[in-house]
Amino acid sequence: MHLDPIFILASALTLAVLLASAATHKVRAPARFAKQLADYQLLPYSVVRPIARVIPLVELMVAFALLVPASRRGAALAAGGLISLYALAIAINLWRGRRDIDCGCAGPDQAQPLRPVLLLRNSALVGLALLAGVAPVARDLGVFDSFVSVAATAVLLLVYAAADGLLANSPLLLKLIGR
Amino acid sequence: MEGLIVSNVLLWVLLVAVAFLVMGLVRQIGVLHGRLAPAGALMVDKGVAVNEAAPQVTAADRNGRPVNFGYAGEKNQLLFFLSPTCPICKSLLPAIKSIAREQAGRLDVVFISDGDMDAQQALIREHKLEHATYVVGPEVGMTYQIGKLPYAALIDKSGTLRAKGLVNSREHLDSLFEVEHLNSATLQEYLNSQPHPHVHSH
Repeated sequence: MHLDPIFILASALTLAVLLASAATHKVRAPARFAKQLADYQLLPYSVVRPIARVIPLVELMVAFALLVPASRRGAALAAGGLISLYALAIAINLWRGRRDIDCGCAGPDQAQPLRPVLLLRNSALVGLALLAGVAPVARDLGVFDSFVSVAATAVLLLVYAAADGLLANSPLLLKLIGR
Repeated sequence: MEGLIVSNVLLWVLLVAVAFLVMGLVRQIGVLHGRLAPAGALMVDKGVAVNEAAPQVTAADRNGRPVNFGYAGEKNQLLFFLSPTCPICKSLLPAIKSIAREQAGRLDVVFISDGDMDAQQALIREHKLEHATYVVGPEVGMTYQIGKLPYAALIDKSGTLRAKGLVNSREHLDSLFEVEHLNSATLQEYLNSQPHPHVHSH
C-alpha cells in the first residue's frame, strides 16, 4: 500500500514530538517516573530503576529515527510497539482492578487514573504509527507540501493535547458532581 | 488553482488557531478543576483537635488591650467567631450574651471578628457589646483555622480545647457546654446524634 507523503510526514512528525515530550517529562523527574513504573507492578523491584532510565532514552531514539526518512519505517513500527506495550501495561492493571494508580501518561500536572478510554487513546496512537510506517508514493515535495505537513502536525498535536486534557479532566468532573 | 492554494493555506491557519483555542479552553477547565477541588473536600472539623491543648495566641482587642487565648486561667473561655456580614452570627448574639450573663462567674466570652472597623462599630452599637471583649483581627481565626461562621470554641481553665464547631442555633451553642460535661464526645458526634442538626454553611 502506498500513501501520499503528506500523511506519512504529518503522522511521523506528530509521533516524534509526542515521544520526545513524553521522554523529557520522564528525564526531568526520574524518581517520579520510577515510582509510576513501580506502581504498575509488572517488573521485579530490582529492575524498575534501570528500566525507568532506559525507557526515555528509547523514546528519544525512536523520536529522532522517525524524523529521518531512511529509518522512518522501522522507527514507526518501534513506536507502535512501544505504545502497544504501554496499552498492554494499562490493560493488565485494569484487569487486576488497579484503577486508582497514576497513568503516568503525560506530565506532572496531568495525573489521571487508569480507565479503559486510555486504551482507545493508545490504539489511536498505534494507528498513527502504522500510518507513519506506510511506504510513501514517490513524488517531488514542494514548499506547499511541507507547509501542509507542518500545519497538519500542529493541528494533530493540539487536538491530541486537548483530547488528553479532556481525558484528565473527566475524573475530576465526576468527583465534582459526586459520582 | 492559485485561489485553491490560497484558500487551503487560509483554512490550515484558521484550523491551527481553532485547535489552539480548544486546547486553551481545556487547560482553563483543568485549572478551574484544580481550584474547585479544595472546596469539594472542605472539612468543617479541621484544625485543632478537641480535648487537646488549645494553641496559645495573644491578640489585642478593639481597645488595644491584650487578650490571651489557650492559656491556663481562672475561667473557661468561649471564643465566638463572627462577622458583621453574617446574619446568622447576629441572630446568635442574644444567646451568646445571655450565656455570658448566666455564667459570668466561670466563663469569659470573647467575640472575634475580622474586617472593616466601621461595620464592627455598627454591630457593637446595635447589639450593645461595648463592654464585651471584642477582638478584631485575623490572628486568632487563623490559629484556630476557622473556615466557616458562626463558629465557637470552648477552652477550659487548664487551656484545653473542650469543644468547637459551627454553631447555627442556641441548641448548638448549648451543645458545646453539654460536650464539656460529657467530657468525651466531640461536638461533631453530639450534633450527629441530634434529631435535626441544622448545619448551614456561610
